[in-house]
Amino acid sequence: MITCHDLHKEYRTGHITKSVLNGVDFTINPNDRIGLLGRNGAGKSTLIRLIGGVEMPTSGKVVRKMSCSWPLGFTGGFQGSLTGYDNARFIARIYDKPYSEMRVFVEEFTELGIQLHMPVKQYSSGMRARLAFALSLAIEFQCYLIDEVIMVGDMNFRKKCERAFFEVRKDRALLLASHSVKTVKRFCNRAIVLDDGIATMYEDVDTGISVYEAL
Amino acid sequence: MTQFSKGLRVQLRVMQALMIRELVTRFGRENIGFLWIMVEPLLFAGLVGLVWTFLRGQEKQGIAVVAFVVSGYIPLTFLRHSFGRSAKIFQTNGALLYHRQVKILDFIFVRVSIEAIGAMMAYIFAGVVLFFFDMFPMPYDVTSLVSGWLIYVLFVVSVCTVLAPLSEMSEVVEKLVPISVYVSIPFSGVFNMAAWLPPNVREALMWSPLVTGMELMRFGLFGDLVTPYYDIPKAIGITLACLVIGLTLSRRIRRTLSLS
Repeated sequence: MITCHDLHKEYRTGHITKSVLNGVDFTINPNDRIGLLGRNGAGKSTLIRLIGGVEMPTSGKVVRKMSCSWPLGFTGGFQGSLTGYDNARFIARIYDKPYSEMRVFVEEFTELGIQLHMPVKQYSSGMRARLAFALSLAIEFQCYLIDEVIMVGDMNFRKKCERAFFEVRKDRALLLASHSVKTVKRFCNRAIVLDDGIATMYEDVDTGISVYEAL
Repeated sequence: MTQFSKGLRVQLRVMQALMIRELVTRFGRENIGFLWIMVEPLLFAGLVGLVWTFLRGQEKQGIAVVAFVVSGYIPLTFLRHSFGRSAKIFQTNGALLYHRQVKILDFIFVRVSIEAIGAMMAYIFAGVVLFFFDMFPMPYDVTSLVSGWLIYVLFVVSVCTVLAPLSEMSEVVEKLVPISVYVSIPFSGVFNMAAWLPPNVREALMWSPLVTGMELMRFGLFGDLVTPYYDIPKAIGITLACLVIGLTLSRRIRRTLSLS
């Protein structure tokens, strides 16, 4: 279970203060598939970064009672100047996983072949997404935080992700930030709509989607 | 307690992984690889030693000039690199903070450790080579040499923990970091022994843990040829005070650090 208690987040640049989240409260249960909806700049990525522990809330706290992936998105988690293999080795080391298994899994899941010997900064966003998913799936977290990124993949990759998350790992929790109403409708059992720094949880996904579409 | 030892194990694992990563990114795997780490201090100390020899003769107060310069410049290079690399170190390594077990202080400890290892390798290498040319003494007291180095390294670490968060807080500090190196040179005991200075200056220099460290190292190397002046309790006290300030600042800056 992961619980957010009254999360507030402000960003300060010079003398301009922007408050992105104004008291967000909710709980992710094991097995939950939560769709996170909101307009651009509503704070979806910020919320995911706070839950992932990348950034700290201005006030409030996140209590994690299950293992939780780093936010899987376009950036972060990689060292651009290192190759795919070196990144895999680094992640295997810090998460204390045997590298040999990691390597096999990454090769098979990403299908990147020889490109795994290239620095990650030369990857396209789709290739990066493949690598990020492969690495985090190899570690087997109880909860996955996904920021948009499924959308950049090609057909084959999307199918793979669907299989990995909705067949093989049915028992895991998922927080999925997305603009694709279709994806959320298809895979989620609850939805959160983020507006004006406040998160509202809808137990019924269709209600959540109609609220989001009316924004 | 088990919580603590578990955390410690995780941090050691993280630091080891970061260290390998750092060595690979900075030096690559080709040609001499991570041995590059000692090339710069060696070249620097070697050239300065050569210039000094021509300017001031081979010996100064009975000490080989080259050995004196090498024993001072290699720690100074270590200090310079460590300070220089502390600027914006949290931001430049931000991508790694996506993994929760990676802490901002790991970056500092890893950078300083790598620089320290490089400096030690350079020191030993230079010492051995110069020893065969009869320009470097056999260390007189290894314990003093090592404990002086330890004091020196610990103080550099503690200053880095202050510089790193300050450089994130203000652009001005970030730009001033390189200057901090030059400011510290007179207080680092590189160019002279405290014994060669007037008593009141010497007294003032005892406030610098760098001088204490350097004097101990020089005594460990040259033995009775030099008269060392040092104040170990003061050095440790200042280092600890600096560390407390640094850790507090780092903790505060972590809360507002924003990474994309």
